[in-house]
Amino acid sequence: MTELLLWPFAAGLVLTGIHVYFGLHVLARKVVFVDLSLAQVAALGLAVAILAGHPVQSDAAYWYAFGFAIVGALLVALARPYEGALQQEAVIGIVYAVSAALGVLVLDRAPQGADHIKQLLAGTILTVTPQEVAGLAALYAGIGALHLLLRRPIMQASFRPQDMPHAHLLLWDALFYASFALVVTSSVRVAGVLLVFCYLIVPAALAGLLATGFVVRLVVGWVLGAALTAGGLVASWVWDLPTGPAVVAAFGAAMALAALAFALRRLTLRKSGLLASSAAAIAGALLLAFPQMDQPWLDAIEAAVPPLHTAFLSASERTTRDETLGSIARAREELTRLRALEADVRWNKVEMDGEKAERLRQYLAGKGEISAGDALVLRHLHDKARARQRYMLGLPLLAIGIWGLWALLRRRAA
Amino acid sequence: MLAALVAATSPSAQAQQRLLVITTSPDLKSLVEAVGGDRVEVESLGQPEQNPHSVEIKPGQLVRVKQAAMLVRIGLDHEPWLARLPALTATVVDASRDVPLLQTETPRLRTARKAHTHAYGNTHYWLDPKNAWPITASILAALADLSPADRAAFEARREAFLSRLEERLAAWEGVLAPYRGARVVVVHDSWSYFAERFGLRIVAAAEPNPGVPPSPGELAALLDRLRGSDVRVLISDPHSDPSLVRQIADKGGVRPVTLLPSGRDYIGLFEENVQRLSQALKSGQ
Repeated sequence: MTELLLWPFAAGLVLTGIHVYFGLHVLARKVVFVDLSLAQVAALGLAVAILAGHPVQSDAAYWYAFGFAIVGALLVALARPYEGALQQEAVIGIVYAVSAALGVLVLDRAPQGADHIKQLLAGTILTVTPQEVAGLAALYAGIGALHLLLRRPIMQASFRPQDMPHAHLLLWDALFYASFALVVTSSVRVAGVLLVFCYLIVPAALAGLLATGFVVRLVVGWVLGAALTAGGLVASWVWDLPTGPAVVAAFGAAMALAALAFALRRLTLRKSGLLASSAAAIAGALLLAFPQMDQPWLDAIEAAVPPLHTAFLSASERTTRDETLGSIARAREELTRLRALEADVRWNKVEMDGEKAERLRQYLAGKGEISAGDALVLRHLHDKARARQRYMLGLPLLAIGIWGLWALLRRRAA
Repeated sequence: MLAALVAATSPSAQAQQRLLVITTSPDLKSLVEAVGGDRVEVESLGQPEQNPHSVEIKPGQLVRVKQAAMLVRIGLDHEPWLARLPALTATVVDASRDVPLLQTETPRLRTARKAHTHAYGNTHYWLDPKNAWPITASILAALADLSPADRAAFEARREAFLSRLEERLAAWEGVLAPYRGARVVVVHDSWSYFAERFGLRIVAAAEPNPGVPPSPGELAALLDRLRGSDVRVLISDPHSDPSLVRQIADKGGVRPVTLLPSGRDYIGLFEENVQRLSQALKSGQ
């Protein structure tokens, strides 16, 4: 695990380092989508590079992408003084949509690039190399040092632009967006658009909720970014998921948890009672009206507490269920064993004569999906139980829900 | 005077008589030309560099499709974009009709992930040169229906093409004969027919589902398998993810070789692929 995930983790730390910093600026400037917009302009640059005959991974293609992103960044910087007449967010959106469409037009002339650009935007953080991580770290250290040196005007341009003369503001905005364009172009190459967007916005947004002051928020954001990267990578390993999307999902989960925590803090006993009663009434009504509809909440509870399911089966049905479950478990075990054997034969770890190996392959291909019959039996029992739960669970739930709502609302009226 | 007029107009009249045939892939275009010769004018909707599953039709092409007398397609579920075309007046030839297909087992429920599951079998059947026989037979039948007077000419052209292909196929099999039974890994499962013809054994596909990058667990398992094995070559497609190819090549100790799944010249496509593959297998030994 460490061998494969060490460098993705290192890449995640480097990305966290620079993007949380830029994220705090971007949130203060209220230009959340500038990152997606510049990434799309950079992708347009890549498409043009491919049309000009450069391989997608070449240095030339990188400079094309950067050149285009700089132009996009300058457009965004130039739009700011006209904020009163035209929102900067509108310019960002237009730049995004137009460069995406231009990209399609360019790729129509260079179709070999389409898949590579799609892969690039999706990101391949799992296969990042040590050289790439080192290159990014060096570049971002340089940009960080420059911003540290010029921190006073750059901070002022982001957080107190009203105190700055217009000409100065344009200059510092141009510098800010140009360095941001360089960061986005370089990061997207390694991690893809979605992941880069999450590194930029999520830790900075969470830090904004949890702390005050730029430096404190920066540190909180760094800690969160590192922790969420680790969490996403571990999840990708444990649950066998594509790595980039798994890390993005970890960021999303963190955001959802934070939202839930904030919601819970404002929740009174009465409000929770109302919520619980409404949920019970709706769940009961649905179970009563559409017993065969998917009821994921009931499935989840049954999986955790099987008696809730078996209590609605007759004794003979329970026996059938146990036998079927046993047979599925045995079939699954056997299939796993045969699959491993077949893989060993394919990889030449185990000798087997050709005809027998082919028979095994065909058996597994046909069997592929274990015991469809057993699954059908379980489904049948499930439907039977649901038909009984319809009244024995649905009615009481509905009644409790309505009673709860009635009692709570009446108390208020009184 | 009249004779001169006829002589002057006849080339354009003849050009008008040429059958317009639209194909979905350049390989099929090459095969239609091999049978039809100067009696047909062929255009391909897809380009060799393009992903055949996602072709975007342009207005000019749409006009040509409407004018066409015949449309030749790979069939199966290879061209989902074709369904969005308006109703066709042309004769539609499904080139897969008489081809013996591989991997036709259709899983009913997906409890386990499988390499490149096509609902009707693996669609990359033109990558076995032997399948040019049934494909050109379907093309010949349709062309002869549209232009019965040219049947003999079409048959003669097809025979000539197939005997040239037969000769080249023997040469290719000769070049790859020393590596018969060699085990290889592919990035994307589009090489089953090719491997079957030339006696290669594909032991695994790096992308368990096409287009979805492998999870760390799957990649680790593949690298682990590779290190203890006699596999020396990794076959990638031009649109495979280069960073994935590089990682497997570096860590698994295999030599990457990019083979072309599609080309403008059917015989030239195999010349190129056989040369690339034999070089990779040779230096991998």
